[in-house]
Amino acid sequence: MSRTTLENRIYLFLMIVSGATLLAQNAIIDPSWVVPPKAIERQNPMRDKPSAFLGGRKIFEHTCIECHGDATHPRTNNAPDLSSPAVQSETDGSLFWRISQGNSRRAMPSFSNIPETQRWQLVLYIRSISKQVAPVSK
Amino acid sequence: MRHFLIVVTLLLAPAIRSIAQENPYFVTYDHHMEETGNLEISTQGTIAMQKHDLPTLVAPLLELEYGWNGWWTSELYLEGSSQMHDSAVFAGWRLENRFKVLQREHWINPVLYFEFEDVNEASHIRKEIVGHDEPVTESLSLLRQSKARELEGKLILSSNVHSWNISENFIVEKNTSSSEATEFGYAVGISRPLATMASGTDCKLCRENFRAALEFYGGLGNTEVFGLPHTAQFIAPGIVWQLNAANSLKASTAFGLTSASERTLFRVGYTYEIQGFGHKVRQMLSGKTNKGDKLN
Repeated sequence: MSRTTLENRIYLFLMIVSGATLLAQNAIIDPSWVVPPKAIERQNPMRDKPSAFLGGRKIFEHTCIECHGDATHPRTNNAPDLSSPAVQSETDGSLFWRISQGNSRRAMPSFSNIPETQRWQLVLYIRSISKQVAPVSK
Repeated sequence: MRHFLIVVTLLLAPAIRSIAQENPYFVTYDHHMEETGNLEISTQGTIAMQKHDLPTLVAPLLELEYGWNGWWTSELYLEGSSQMHDSAVFAGWRLENRFKVLQREHWINPVLYFEFEDVNEASHIRKEIVGHDEPVTESLSLLRQSKARELEGKLILSSNVHSWNISENFIVEKNTSSSEATEFGYAVGISRPLATMASGTDCKLCRENFRAALEFYGGLGNTEVFGLPHTAQFIAPGIVWQLNAANSLKASTAFGLTSASERTLFRVGYTYEIQGFGHKVRQMLSGKTNKGDKLN
């Protein structure tokens, strides 16, 4: 077998494997992003620790602000405004679940690699975000 | 030149508010994908101290990682190799794709990994350990003449339990350039931040900015002789330091556990993450910019 033929076969193989994986991925994507009832009921263990709020703000500025924006930074990636009534009406447990799970169809990563305590700190800070709506980046 | 500087500034400006969220692993993969539209630039160096007074090998690596979307990440590697009292050579390139199989977080999160390598036998970054091993005794100029086009697949299983990450990788590699048998390997890693609560100050040396890890990796033989005999096995403690929002530094020392292993592998890596890279490129191509990104 000539080298060119072998290379062509390798590239074809790679394309088939990648394509099959993409199709399989699309087939099993869950279209909903519904928070389970058990997760909604979870209480924030940081709610009685006001000192945790500043840590939550730091995580927000490092991790969330690029997409979700705030009063001074525009939003990107069609991320929702976290000060909106729709977001603020969610329970702490619901926000924690969404941060932990992510939604890969909407470019929201899973942040389960952030320690659980820090994710609760983040929820504490999100609760405090001002009602000023962040501008949307076109 | 001015336009070039503007382009570079626009691309790098958002990075000051991004966080790399690096893990301390050098060989093991976890299930976390690169964030959508982010570009991660990493440089790594591996210093392999061989046994029996054999020459020390130094293998630098440049890595570009891009997140296409929430479940697909690609990486391009360019690697070199040098040997004490010998030459330095370009060892080849690798292109990998990782696909997150399940959309949600589960107790175990599988990721499929496919890689094509066009390297030569001088390659010594030890990014994965597979098959059987033997010490490097030939010069790099000889080794580089032997090409290897390899296909590699990995099944990555990873779990986050509270603040711990536990990851297991199963590796299969086939050299398509020769009639070698299919080789197998593994990597297992466990990591945890030194502090789980974030402080309110923007400190550099807070414990929360460090994450420690312990990795085990090695070969499992091949389709002809499967098992541990004549394989390299390592135990590797490591640590990553989140220097600031965009930069991280990690280091690891791997200790060889078998006679076929190098005595020690010293590894150092530096990562810089550009958040919103894809978004910025699209904006520039369409001629639009954010208000906050305007250069005055």
